[in-house]
Amino acid sequence: MNKYVQSETNQHVMKLIQMGADVTVVSGQMVYVSFDINEEIKVSYVYNINKKNRYFLERIRPYPISVKEFETAEDICNIIKIDVEQFRNAVKSHNIHEFININYELHNLILQFEDLFLYYNIDHNTFDEIKTDIEDIHERINKAKEKSKRVYFGKEPDHLKG
Amino acid sequence: MQVDHVIIGILIFIIAYIAIVSEKIHRMIVAVFGAGLMIIFHVLSQEEAISKIDFNTLGLLIGMMILVNIIGETGLFQYLAIKSAKIAKGSPFKILIYFSVITALASGLLDNVTTILLIVPVTLVISDTLKVNPIPYVIAEIMSANIGGAATLIGDPPNIMIGGATGLGFLDFIVNLLPLMTVIFIVTILLLRFIFRKTFVVSEESKKEILSFDEKKAITDKPLLIKSLIVLFFTIAGFAFGELIEIQSASIALFSASVLLLIGRIEPEDMLEKVEWTTIFFFGGLFILVGALESIGVIEFLAGKVLIITQGSISLTTTLVLWMSALLSSFLDNIPYVATMIPLVNSLSEGSVATYEPVWWALSIGACLGGNGTIIGASANVVSRGILEKHGFKISFMKYMKIAFPLMILSIIISTVYLLVFYL
Repeated sequence: MNKYVQSETNQHVMKLIQMGADVTVVSGQMVYVSFDINEEIKVSYVYNINKKNRYFLERIRPYPISVKEFETAEDICNIIKIDVEQFRNAVKSHNIHEFININYELHNLILQFEDLFLYYNIDHNTFDEIKTDIEDIHERINKAKEKSKRVYFGKEPDHLKG
Repeated sequence: MQVDHVIIGILIFIIAYIAIVSEKIHRMIVAVFGAGLMIIFHVLSQEEAISKIDFNTLGLLIGMMILVNIIGETGLFQYLAIKSAKIAKGSPFKILIYFSVITALASGLLDNVTTILLIVPVTLVISDTLKVNPIPYVIAEIMSANIGGAATLIGDPPNIMIGGATGLGFLDFIVNLLPLMTVIFIVTILLLRFIFRKTFVVSEESKKEILSFDEKKAITDKPLLIKSLIVLFFTIAGFAFGELIEIQSASIALFSASVLLLIGRIEPEDMLEKVEWTTIFFFGGLFILVGALESIGVIEFLAGKVLIITQGSISLTTTLVLWMSALLSSFLDNIPYVATMIPLVNSLSEGSVATYEPVWWALSIGACLGGNGTIIGASANVVSRGILEKHGFKISFMKYMKIAFPLMILSIIISTVYLLVFYL
């Protein structure tokens, strides 16, 4: 390990342990992957391979998706393969830029909601209102699914069932 | 030996040396490339080249690197640092002294760079908590590491090389150098305390925060720590009594490393990955480069010239070697310097009725303490500066030199008096 990385790790470990954390340092390889889907859209991932057989994958472009943990290194390549296929398919749509923008907005929405709860004392009614709005969006997504033509069959959707 | 081989050998050595000193290309690549050229141009054969490598030095370095890496991961350093900061009740001056003592003691047993990599991160956390500038602490630690490393056979690579070449053992280094280094350490730390007397202002709140640290949490693997300390104890005992049991230090270090890997149930791949192979290969290449110079008679020629200057006087040779080593090691890597000086001193001592032991001590003291003179004088200094810069603290060449160079010169004056009084 690079001397300076090691020094930095030692400091972090000391601070985190004193904060009360259990810290395990796992050496591994960080991999950055990037695909040019077209001239404007690039899809990028970052993942970590380590000896503990725990693999963390994150898509960082065109919009971030939450960290996932997988059992084997092969899973990572399969997931990236399908993801890239879906994006190559999706760029054919005229709505691709709208799709990316909405995803950004949704991501920002989650961050704003987190700030709202962590920084302010929110009354219960506000939660109920937000919950109702989310249910409306869920319903809209499901309705849209019902009346739209399916375009990708490489695998079944992970979150849109039925 | 043909004349063209002599010229080629000298040219390869000089170019390699300049390249190593300039640090434009990694020193390991230069040393191995230069060693390869020596063989390709038939300055020496492959068999001769391999016979020039001091495998005792390499084995000792590898064994100690494995041991130290394992110990480092147990959290021992953090424990000692937090405990001492709490004993000091957050007083910045006491912490400076305690951390310097820990660094000096540790670097006597461990490699200086490793010691720095363990102590400086802890220092940054403590200085951050105290809201004080970490630079005075790190300067004290750099100097303590170089002084502590000079006190033992295994503390600094020049000593390992000198021990390997001369047969001077662990106890010889302790008996001859530890008292001197103790005096130099005390003088240096007291002067540093004086130099930095106006630097530290610490609030009571910060001191309380230090007291809230729990040193016990720092120990990440207590059973491994106990096993490591037991193995380290027997390793040092092995070094001390190595001559009696007729086992060389490399065998002791490598055997100890294998014992700790065995009883600690440590994944060997993980530990071997942490061995600084670039350093090991650098040493291997360097031994061949210097060995080639020896084979073609250059060392013998230089020794003859030195004898003309010193007239065979041990006092003059000792003083000359001490000051030349200190001044050169302030600016240059002391490892290639010592590697070149070892065959030279060996050649000087051939046929001499007087003992050359003081000259060996002068070489060791000069090469190790000289490193304190500038921020580029030793690997520990360079690594410390790198860590500090990554945290936004800059030690300029001149700022460090203004403080450290006079202290280094003072340490060499003390050493000159010591050598002249006790050996000459």
